[in-house]
Amino acid sequence: MRENAAGFRGPSIRSRKRQEKIGNSATLIILILLGALVLLPIWWMFRSSLMTNAELYAYPPKFLPGRWLFGNYVSTMDYFPFWKYFKNTMTIIVPSVLGGTVTATLAGYAFARLKFRGKKFLFTLCVGSMLLPTMVTLVPLYILWTRGLHVVDSYLPLIFPHFCGGGAFNIFLIRQFVRTIPRELDEAATIDGAGHFRILVSIIIPSIKSAMIVVALLLFIMLWNDLLQQIIYINSLDKFTIALGLAQFKGSLGTDWTKIMCATCMSFVPGVIFYLIGQKYFVEGIVMTGMKN
Amino acid sequence: MRIFPGGKTLKEAIRKAESRTAYLCLIPSIIGLVFITYLPLLSVFILGFFKFGKGAPTPVFVGLENYIRLFTSDPYFLDSIRVTVYFSVLAVIGSLIYSLFLAMLLNRKIPARGFFRAVFYLPYVLPAMAVYIGWSWLYESNFGLFNFILSSFGLDKVRFIADSHLVVPSLAVISVWLSGNLIVIFLAGLQNVPRVYHDAAEIDGANGWQRFRHVTIPCMTPIIFYNLLMALITNMQIVIPAIALTNGGPGNASCFLTYLMYRYAFISNQLGYACSISFVFFIIIAVFTAILFATSKSWIFYEGDAN
Repeated sequence: MRENAAGFRGPSIRSRKRQEKIGNSATLIILILLGALVLLPIWWMFRSSLMTNAELYAYPPKFLPGRWLFGNYVSTMDYFPFWKYFKNTMTIIVPSVLGGTVTATLAGYAFARLKFRGKKFLFTLCVGSMLLPTMVTLVPLYILWTRGLHVVDSYLPLIFPHFCGGGAFNIFLIRQFVRTIPRELDEAATIDGAGHFRILVSIIIPSIKSAMIVVALLLFIMLWNDLLQQIIYINSLDKFTIALGLAQFKGSLGTDWTKIMCATCMSFVPGVIFYLIGQKYFVEGIVMTGMKN
Repeated sequence: MRIFPGGKTLKEAIRKAESRTAYLCLIPSIIGLVFITYLPLLSVFILGFFKFGKGAPTPVFVGLENYIRLFTSDPYFLDSIRVTVYFSVLAVIGSLIYSLFLAMLLNRKIPARGFFRAVFYLPYVLPAMAVYIGWSWLYESNFGLFNFILSSFGLDKVRFIADSHLVVPSLAVISVWLSGNLIVIFLAGLQNVPRVYHDAAEIDGANGWQRFRHVTIPCMTPIIFYNLLMALITNMQIVIPAIALTNGGPGNASCFLTYLMYRYAFISNQLGYACSISFVFFIIIAVFTAILFATSKSWIFYEGDAN
């Protein structure tokens, strides 16, 4: 950078401000265009769900449906029992998210604050598991559950693992957060006679609430996407989740795209709602982890 | 000095209580690490030497037979490695460039930042199954959106996921579209780049590109490395679109390694053989990871004060 010093022209503050303004307008235009491009697929699916089949196959295709046939959703529900699938999905997700968040918090706290033998070793194992793809252990775990423990067509294999630490990344995230809390607070509480659990509950957890929400959201999204486990562990129609129901619906309907898009858009909704609710914690949380270490 | 039960000093007693709390807190994670991560990994290695499943209700030791079959007579295996690597390279490079670029834009002082961030993150929160089914409609050969766009530019219709040359790039595009989580992590990193470096460079007369090249990129290398690693591991494991949409086809053009494993394990019930594939998959990922880590020292820039 030193060679540039010779060419130092010292732009006036005003021209710099103008430059920045132009830059920002350009940024905004690019963002609007790219944003439209990213939303286009979702819009296209949605608009397809509101059309008659004739309209759907019209050429050139229309960006807006002639009439917004929300009735399509009602008739899709006759074949695609969304609420049942939703209930089943939540039966898996709610306990898993709770279990994962709580156990990740416990582990993250221990790694951040407590001294014990084997800490370094355990932490290394934990971080190492982040690099181990879940696909690798899929088959032995399947054998363990179905042949070893004779657990078949049950949600247990989907829920149980989340009570075991909630994933290395989440433990790491909590640990980073706990480390930002001043130790003086703990020490003051210790002098007041509080034990470690007392400190965890009354000092640590209130100050890392937003991190715990981030962990819960990350777990939610992960489970929401975790189709493969559902495919291999769940067999009966009665226990189908939204994703499984959707796959089976697509398989049985083939090319009735209006109805398929209705079902697709329906299954978008819960994730979007949860994201919008938790959004503000989200970025804050990831920013605060300071991914540097 | 007070002596506690067992003849210990206060300090020792406190330390003991502390480690007891720690182990209590870590019990769930230790169970997870042992039974859900590392023991299964060991069993993948062991079961790879067994015939288990179809024709062998209990595991039968067959030595290296599975591996010999894999590398010499399996009609899909070598192709599936090629397809997986091809897909991963496209998807990883695409999503890193896409998300770094967007993060840079979103890091500027612009109105409605939160809104734009939400827009680009949105695809990531949609359920995978719905995403792939939705995209299969966009990619539809006759009435799909993309073919309409192509034909309005006067180009010939293409069959995207039904075309053996295009199926992998088409799926990689979906992966890039889904990579909103990388944007958030990059954005976090950009906000940690010390302002003073930019100011100093600007005083030295560096233009925007020079600042990007010599300030932003070096400061971001640890995060680029992290995202690269995570994107690689995620994309190497691609399997849902093969199950949901393509069944590995057309031909074997989207028969990813993980899909091959899925098919052997859960459709044709050859569990031992599937484990040998899992193990090879593990080795491939381990090699890629090791290469990344080995080369990282030469291109990752750690700030002096980072601990």
